[in-house]
Amino acid sequence: MDEAALIRAAQAGDQDAFERLVRSYDQPVLRLAMNLLRSSEDAYDIYQEAFLRVYRNLDSFRFDCSFHTWLYRIVTNLCLDHLRKKKVRRTEPAVVETEDGPMDRMDSVPEHRADGDPQRRLLSAELRGKIEEVLKAMTARERMVFEMRHYQGMRLRAIGDVLGTTEEAAKNCLFRATQKMRSALGEFLP
Amino acid sequence: MTCEEARESLMLLSYGELTFDQEETLELHLAECPSCAAERLRMERLEEMLALGEAEPPPGLLARCRRDLAVKIEDENRPMRRFSPRRLWRDWFVYTPLWLRPVGAMLMLAIGFVGAQFVPAGSLAGLGGGAAAEPVMSRVRFVSPDESGRVRVVMEETRQREFTGYMNDHRIRQALLAAASDPADPGLRVESMELLKNQGQQDDVKQALLNALRADVNSGVRLKALEGLKPYSREPEVRTVLAQVLLNDDNPGVRTQAIDLLIQSNEPEVAGILQQLLEREDNSYVRTRSQRALAEMKASVGTF
Ligand SMILES: [Zn+2]
Repeated sequence: MDEAALIRAAQAGDQDAFERLVRSYDQPVLRLAMNLLRSSEDAYDIYQEAFLRVYRNLDSFRFDCSFHTWLYRIVTNLCLDHLRKKKVRRTEPAVVETEDGPMDRMDSVPEHRADGDPQRRLLSAELRGKIEEVLKAMTARERMVFEMRHYQGMRLRAIGDVLGTTEEAAKNCLFRATQKMRSALGEFLP
Repeated sequence: MTCEEARESLMLLSYGELTFDQEETLELHLAECPSCAAERLRMERLEEMLALGEAEPPPGLLARCRRDLAVKIEDENRPMRRFSPRRLWRDWFVYTPLWLRPVGAMLMLAIGFVGAQFVPAGSLAGLGGGAAAEPVMSRVRFVSPDESGRVRVVMEETRQREFTGYMNDHRIRQALLAAASDPADPGLRVESMELLKNQGQQDDVKQALLNALRADVNSGVRLKALEGLKPYSREPEVRTVLAQVLLNDDNPGVRTQAIDLLIQSNEPEVAGILQQLLEREDNSYVRTRSQRALAEMKASVGTF
């Protein structure tokens, strides 16, 4: 069954077809959420909310863009909301008071790829910390574009489509993000 | 092409977004301009580093996402049977507050809401003092039928309780110490370590820092513990653990930090440890760092 047939079957209420549709996209979606939010619980929430929305709104999908674009619009909107909320939110329910006032809960630290790969093991915690620091300092949109390009391998054109903007605007956003990364990681470069 | 245009093209090149002609023009410039050619190498290196910085969903997360989504979609389809016994048994978790329902034989369950993050209970009995809430997580641990046809069910329940206090508050510190060794949650361990690391003057905290540094499987937690031990690198007990870590830890970042702390102590034994390290160290960055440290200690490599 090709993708269009799968979508039509799912729209007609075929649960297996819907599940197959989810499974052909859910790994990159989870990775995107994981990289954007750097927390497995947040990535879990995005996954659930995004695919529930897909399920509830699949009827309104009219094939006027690719399913990938349609799905990623949902996912990126949820992630952008989440990133913005995260920036303004200063306290969490289980906040711990310290002498300097309430402490922010740190983002929980995702486990990085398994130890089997020696190259990854050699990546110093310092560098990894730096990358996350720069990502956090980016605007939500810069970060979104940057992650879609670097960790999803999406073309600028597709990124523009998903974010409802032009290729040129996506490019400028990506430039800014890459410049920030480039100058922050300067000390690690040859 | 100017250097400024070349720099812009270099980024597009790394994104794979240049046309054939644009790439040709760039190559011509790079052939003649050593500084832009060097920038190309840096951009390539940057790409590699970023690829390594990708966060990986932890094992099991995808499976959990898929399973829970299937449950939610089933709920959407049958809103009237939201809390069907079949689902209860399939998931072991229950989603509704205080719910009683016979399941075949007589079976009574008190349940709550899923999703609590909890610290190991053992050392925490009597802590807090905030009002104990309804159970937030219930799990069937044990089921057994008896002769009369009834079923005995043993539930394990977790409650959520909130309390606030300053870092010098004994209850807060005890809770953080327990959380810092929660094997199920590396994120929680890192957060707790971050809060505890400036409390090393307390003996129990210093011990926790040493234990984490020696034994935590997560390098993020070990790095936090190292930070906390910085002011105590002169103490013999701390030095001993640092030496063990330096020679045994599989994370080069941790080894590097351990070197920095050890050389602060200025003890002659450190030169010997560094030389021992050099015999086995295969990470070039850590090697360089320890060679430099040795040079600074004016001990020539290999002849101490
Ligand atoms: Zn040039």
